[in-house]
Amino acid sequence: MQLLEKLKKLGHKNTGIRDFCIQTIRFKKFLENARSLLDLFEDGREKFTGEYIFDRHYVVSLIDSVVEQLGMMVYDASVLAPDRGEELYAAYDRHKLAAANLIESNGSRPNAGPSESLAADRDDPEYQLLSDALMWFNGKNAAAHTTVMELMKKIFFFVIQSLESPGSPERQALSEKSTVLAADKDFYLIDLWKDALALPETQRSVSDFNSVPLRHLLMDVDETGGKAKGHFQKSGAWVAAASEYQLSLNTLNPDFQFRLETLASGYEPSDFIFIFADSSTNLDTLLPKGFHVENSDYGRFAWNLDVSAKTIEDSLMIIGRNLFG
Amino acid sequence: MQKTLEVLLLDDEPIVGRRLKPALDKIGCHVEVFENPKQAVARINEKEFDIVVTDIRMEEMNGIQVLEHVQAKWPRTRVILITGYAKMDLAREAMGKGVFDFIAKPFRPDDLRQIILNAAESLGISVDKPSGITEPVEP
Repeated sequence: MQLLEKLKKLGHKNTGIRDFCIQTIRFKKFLENARSLLDLFEDGREKFTGEYIFDRHYVVSLIDSVVEQLGMMVYDASVLAPDRGEELYAAYDRHKLAAANLIESNGSRPNAGPSESLAADRDDPEYQLLSDALMWFNGKNAAAHTTVMELMKKIFFFVIQSLESPGSPERQALSEKSTVLAADKDFYLIDLWKDALALPETQRSVSDFNSVPLRHLLMDVDETGGKAKGHFQKSGAWVAAASEYQLSLNTLNPDFQFRLETLASGYEPSDFIFIFADSSTNLDTLLPKGFHVENSDYGRFAWNLDVSAKTIEDSLMIIGRNLFG
Repeated sequence: MQKTLEVLLLDDEPIVGRRLKPALDKIGCHVEVFENPKQAVARINEKEFDIVVTDIRMEEMNGIQVLEHVQAKWPRTRVILITGYAKMDLAREAMGKGVFDFIAKPFRPDDLRQIILNAAESLGISVDKPSGITEPVEP
């Protein structure tokens, strides 16, 4: 039985909080699948620019892996945002077709001009195929809305929109249960694993949580802090759902979208910080250097991957200070 | 002993030979490239190569069969296998048959050049090392 299924069976009757925890844990899995996709993009780019010897099998496997991983993202998204499932699967089918056409084309595109192709100076069909695949993954010159990255952004937006929908029973449950309101900060505090099984009897403080990312986020925030400052004052109440190494931070204001997700386990290959913010948010004043930022019609996405545990912890401290300090 | 290293390179994907031949020429190898295993085997019957580099997975004849043929005909020849599939069973089988080394696709030309230098050294042949290729560190 899947872990999340077990939680559903073992959890208490307040299904709102339990489902909130399950959603948050599932969203982390969703992020892991997204990260695997980014790793595949990077692997292809490295092979393309690094003078590697590869064959057609490598490129076809890479394309197949992207299709498979994208399918996993779409599946997770259809669970987290069921209203969007049909639309996302239709988009996924278009990408499967694009992948099949790409493989079918065998890397030979007679109309591909230098501005269209990364491989203008490389005449091997395998390089051309990889170049075309990279263009399909995340090509800056690709036609609008035809890249996998564009679909990823759309998926993220739909999922976050669904998770943060003010009318959802999961979010309403937060304000109905007063013991999840922190005793020392203007935060709703959720223990992702414990609260899914049993609701807290009394209010808790941040210090009651054994959470590495939460501790670092609030390390430079004084004890009376916890209220957002500057631009973030419009955030309304914050929700911090945490476990020992995971933190999911977002707000209850339906007019202000901000979501931070992080894993700070000390195991560098899997640790990350991911942020989604609406277009009104200036991430330059919030984030330390080193984040990859993508702008889209939906909002701003930022992430930091493949960095040391110390960098993750330091980044969380800076973000916490800029948000609440 | 300094001499030209005679290398036969066999891979049914043309890109491999096209890209590797110039890289091996640079370290003074004389490279003959084949895409068809049967033609390669016919050439092996005619000439003793110092090193045979062959893909494992090919139609008509696989790399293990090429390895067996080389060893039967020219026991001194070093055989290096290229594989795009990390198949442990094939690797084990090849190790048992005395393959000199493996390299998995995708790889950089320098990675193969280093293996070729090691194979040459095991044959007592010294080859000019291009810049960028470093001696393996002794444990």
